[in-house]
Amino acid sequence: MSATMEKGVRVLKEVMDAPIASYLNSCVHCGLCAEACLFYTETGDPKYTPIHKIEPLRRLYSQEYTLLGRLMKMVGLSKPLTDAELGEWQELVYNSCTLCGRCSVVCPVGNDIVYMVRKLREGMSASGNAPVGIKGAANRTVTIGSPMGVKLPAVKAQMKHVEEDYGIPIPMDQEGAEYMVMLSSMEIINFPEYLGAIAKIMQQAGKTWTLCSTAFEATNAGMQIGNSDLARLIVSRIVDGAERLKVKTVISPECGHAYTALRWEGANLIGRPFTFQVKHIIEVLGEFQKSGLLKTEGFETDRLTFHDPCQLARRGGVIQQQRDLMNQVSKNFVEMPDAGFINWCCGGGGGASAIEEGEELRLEAFKKKKSQLEAVKPDRLVTACANCRIVLEEGLEHYQMDIPVVGLTEMIAEHIPEKGA
Amino acid sequence: MAIGNDKEFKAALAGLAVAKQRQVASRFAQRVFDLSNDVRVKAALEVAGRPEISDAELTVVSAAANTARVESFTQCGKETDWTAQAGLFVAKAAVACVGSPAPGSNLAWDAAMQARMARTCQTVATGEGTENREAEEQYRILDAFLNQ
Repeated sequence: MSATMEKGVRVLKEVMDAPIASYLNSCVHCGLCAEACLFYTETGDPKYTPIHKIEPLRRLYSQEYTLLGRLMKMVGLSKPLTDAELGEWQELVYNSCTLCGRCSVVCPVGNDIVYMVRKLREGMSASGNAPVGIKGAANRTVTIGSPMGVKLPAVKAQMKHVEEDYGIPIPMDQEGAEYMVMLSSMEIINFPEYLGAIAKIMQQAGKTWTLCSTAFEATNAGMQIGNSDLARLIVSRIVDGAERLKVKTVISPECGHAYTALRWEGANLIGRPFTFQVKHIIEVLGEFQKSGLLKTEGFETDRLTFHDPCQLARRGGVIQQQRDLMNQVSKNFVEMPDAGFINWCCGGGGGASAIEEGEELRLEAFKKKKSQLEAVKPDRLVTACANCRIVLEEGLEHYQMDIPVVGLTEMIAEHIPEKGA
Repeated sequence: MAIGNDKEFKAALAGLAVAKQRQVASRFAQRVFDLSNDVRVKAALEVAGRPEISDAELTVVSAAANTARVESFTQCGKETDWTAQAGLFVAKAAVACVGSPAPGSNLAWDAAMQARMARTCQTVATGEGTENREAEEQYRILDAFLNQ
């Protein structure tokens, strides 16, 4: 056994906890999780059954922590995990799992399958069996501070551009501001208009806010690859920045996994409560709306529908706010089938979109989103995750569906009257 | 009087009919086209620069430019190549040039902003900081366009 494989097995043994033991013993092999996974429903291949994706974890658990499994291992009826097997499993644990959590919520015995996939990724990552694309993102996070290699000068360039475009100053390192706004690399690189939208919304709401020069990046590659140490490092950078600037609230951007990592796992990762609140931008907009701070004019009149990012709606429970916001600026908002809590993933979350060799499968899985869209035939598709946005655009382009995709925060900002108008 | 800042620039663009907006938008985007060199983007800019364009032509070049835009996105987790990223913003500028103007927006302004972002990406890529004179060049182009 190679040193990395030994490390991988050691990590897998370490992450094996009471919930996992309980889940593995509770599974009734009903197969409902298969029907909840778009990689299975769109390919019909049983290897994409979610519970099957964690087979290496189940086998190790059995061999190490059950009497029968130990005996079977002893007499050679159950073979030890090999590096080659974990290598083979890469496609199942990363390429065909977006950590969307749909399998977990349909499990009749309450098994959190996505929790187990996350734990298996820890071993996969430690044994060197994570996909090259995600490894690269993780390495850049350590060395540069951003999974996509975005450095502070690039952020400053974007700030300058947005200040010119919107005519609103973008604050950086403003101590005592109420909100610290985080960005995902995707927004810095592909969607600078998101920052402009924030500036416009905050100006109208009369709120103080700031970016942080030492913690502008929200994306958590540690969570995607399955490396808790890295996930902790990324969260710590944000916590240090927020505490240095003494902000009351950190706003997670339109990025699903950034939100889950910081909001739901962050405090546990660093081992203490935060001194500030964490909210997704859609939650903040929802609060502004309720307190009358979000004044818009005019309505979109074309047919709009909303794609719920999995981490926001299913994993984070933020479901009504985006609908209230849509209805504030739209006269013709329609819901796709299975919208909201049980929405189908775009197919590219959890690091899957960074895996080049997974592209063909991703596009196959996109047929689920295609059928959802065909059911309502929208003129435009709105969402609140920069990664979903690109995966959706690629899928729509591939299937030649002429449906523009827009970000909700930007759409709201477009309805805010110009200052002085 | 020569245009000297964005306020004047925006006001001058607001006074243009859509067909004229397309023509001047095309000139803004042409200035950064060397950062893309995509034939679909080139075709869109050529069509947008003409005084007479049919709706059918616009539909065709708009769809092709949009494909170029989608193909230029840097996906989540991929290492950013700022030179290639400049190409995304050139494609976005081209899409603005041949797109339908949204209520309250000005497609020439949108194209100008995307062209500036493309230039900014180039300066980030070359490590030259973020200073460039794209805005001033756009003022000059608009001045010349208005005075022709």
